[in-house]
Amino acid sequence: MSLLQLKNVTQVFDDEVVLKDIDIDIEKGKFYSILGPSGSGKTTMLRIISGFSKPTSGQVIFEGKDISNFPANKRNMNTVFQNYSLFPHLNVYENVAFGLALKKVDEKTISKKVAKVLQLVQLEHFEGRMIDELSGGQQQRVAIARAIVNEPEILLLDEPLSALDMKLRKNMQYELRQLQQELGITFIFVTHDQEEALAMSDEIIVMNDGIVQQSGSPVDIYDEPVNHFVANFIGESNIVDGQMLDDYQVKFVGKEFECADAGIPQNERVEVVIRPEDLDITTKDNGKLIVNVDSQSFRGDHFEIMAHDEDDNNWLIHSTNPAKESMGIGLFFEPEDIHVMRLNESEEDFDARLESYEE
Amino acid sequence: MNKLFSRIYLTILIILLYLPIFYLILFAFNKGNNMGVFQGFTLSHFQELFADKRLISIVINTFLIAILSSLFATIIGLGGALLIDSLKSKKAVNTYLSLNNILMVSPDVIIGSSFLILFTVLGFSLGFMSVLLSHIAFSIPIVVLMIIPRLKEMNRTMIDAAQDLGATNFQVFSKVTLPYLMPSILSGFFMAFTYSLDDFAVTFFVTGNGFETLSVEVYSRARQGVSLEINALSALIFIFSLIMIVIYYLLSVRSKKMIKNGKGRVV
Repeated sequence: MSLLQLKNVTQVFDDEVVLKDIDIDIEKGKFYSILGPSGSGKTTMLRIISGFSKPTSGQVIFEGKDISNFPANKRNMNTVFQNYSLFPHLNVYENVAFGLALKKVDEKTISKKVAKVLQLVQLEHFEGRMIDELSGGQQQRVAIARAIVNEPEILLLDEPLSALDMKLRKNMQYELRQLQQELGITFIFVTHDQEEALAMSDEIIVMNDGIVQQSGSPVDIYDEPVNHFVANFIGESNIVDGQMLDDYQVKFVGKEFECADAGIPQNERVEVVIRPEDLDITTKDNGKLIVNVDSQSFRGDHFEIMAHDEDDNNWLIHSTNPAKESMGIGLFFEPEDIHVMRLNESEEDFDARLESYEE
Repeated sequence: MNKLFSRIYLTILIILLYLPIFYLILFAFNKGNNMGVFQGFTLSHFQELFADKRLISIVINTFLIAILSSLFATIIGLGGALLIDSLKSKKAVNTYLSLNNILMVSPDVIIGSSFLILFTVLGFSLGFMSVLLSHIAFSIPIVVLMIIPRLKEMNRTMIDAAQDLGATNFQVFSKVTLPYLMPSILSGFFMAFTYSLDDFAVTFFVTGNGFETLSVEVYSRARQGVSLEINALSALIFIFSLIMIVIYYLLSVRSKKMIKNGKGRVV
C-alpha cells in the first residue's frame, strides 16, 4: 500500500497553471527525488505535500486518509528548508528540541532524543552553540536533526544542498542516503541537480511545465527516457531525428540500424537517443558512423569529444582515450545503445509499450 | 600615529560632552547658593532635596509616567509594526511608515498644542491622564520605528519551519516571532522611556494644575534662578542612569550566556 498519494492535483496561481493533474504514489521507506528545472512546479508540489499550499483541485492521501485540508502543523511530516530556516534566537539544542517541546514531551525524553539525533548528524558537542557560530554544513545538519527528531513518516527536503560547496555537497549526499537507510523513513528530496538525484534516489520523479514527465528508478530514467526533455535534462545525450522502419529497425542520418525498440507504427517519425559514453571510437572501416572531430577536451576521467557527421549532425562522445585523428574516424555502438522515443508519447503509453515487448 | 590621533580625538570629545554635567554635579556640593564660585564642600543641598516633599513626588510622577507610557506604547507600537508589516501592498506600507515618520519629526510644540486642543474640545480634564495619554501617543512612532527594521530582516521561512514542527499560529508568535523581535522591542521600550523622561514641550501644554513632571518643574523654578537643590537632583539622576546602563549591559551579557547554556527555555 502506498504511504502518500497525490490524486489529480492541480494548482493555479493567478491564472497560471503551476501543476497540471499530478498523480504520484509514494511508498514507505524509499528515497524519492522530485527533479526538474526551476519553474517546473517541483517546489509547489512539495508545499502541497507539506501542507503549506492547498491545491486548487485534487487530493492528498496519506495512509488512505484525505489530508488535503490539514494544515502543515497537523501532518506527520517534517521539512528541511532550502535556507535551513533555523531559529537564530535559540541555540542548537533548543532548535532541535523545538518540535518535541511543542508536543509537550517531557524534558528527560527530549534531552535523550536530541542527544541521539545530534550524534546521528555528527554534532554531539554543539548543543550550546548559537546558529550564527556554525558553518553552512553544520547548519544543514542542525536543520536535518531538527526535522528527524520528530520521527516523521516522511521527511521533505527542499533543495537542502544547493547552498553548500561541491565537496561538502557530495559528502552530504552520501550521508543523507545513509541516514535514510538507517532511519527507514521516506525521504522526498526536491532538486534541480540531476547528478544528485541519480546518486541518491530509489525513485526519481522528473517534472517539467507542471507535469510529471517520467518517474522510475534512476537506471530506467537514464537508459529509457520517455521524451526529448528527459533525455536532455538527465545526463548528456545525442538526439537526432529518425524514422521507425519496422520493429527493431530504425533509420537515422540516412542509414538503417538495428535497435532494441518495438511497438511503434511503421514509418513513424521518431527521435533517437545515443548517450555519449555509448559511442566508441574505432577505425573508419569498423564504424557505423563516420565523423570529423571538432574539438577535444580532457575532463579528468574521460575525454569529451565534439564531432560532426557529413550531414552536420553534432555528436558528443565520451571516451577514455583521445581520438588520434581528427578527420574521418568511425563511431561504433550496439543496438541496445540506441533508444528510440516517439514524439508526444505519454508516460503511460510508453510504459505499456515497453511492457508489450520486453520480457 | 593614526591610533594616537583617534585616541586623543575621542578623549577630547568625551570630556567636552561630559564637562557641563560634571560642572553641574560639582556645584551640587557647593557651600554657596549659586553656580558662580565654588566656596567649599557641603551636603546641605541633598538634605534640602530629601526634605522637599513636593520635588520628590514630582520625581516619582515623572518616572511613573515614563514607565507606564513606554509600556503601553511598546505594546501598541508592536501591534502596529506587525500590522504594517503584514500589509501586502508596498504603497500602503510606505504610506503608513511616512505618516509614522511625520509624527517623529514634527516639533513637540505642535504636537503638544494639538493635544491641548484635542483635550479641550473633548472636555478632558488636564492632569495625570492627559499627560500619560499624550506620552503614549508620541512614543508609539518611536517604538514602531525601532521594530520595523528587525521585522524586515526576519527570515519568513522561519515561520513556515515553526508550523512545520507543529506550532499553532499563537505558538509561532510566542515562541518565534516575539523572542526574535525581543531585542528591538526592548530598545523601543528604552527609547520611549527616555523620550518620556526628557519631554518638556508636550507635557507643558497638556498638564494642568497640581500635576507636574520634572522637566516642567525645573523649568518653572529656573525662571526664579536655579537653586542648587536642582544640581543635587541632577547628580542623583545621573548616578541612577549610570546604574541603569550597567544593569542593561550585565543583562545583555547574561542573556547571551543563557542562550549558550539554555536547555529548557523552549519547553
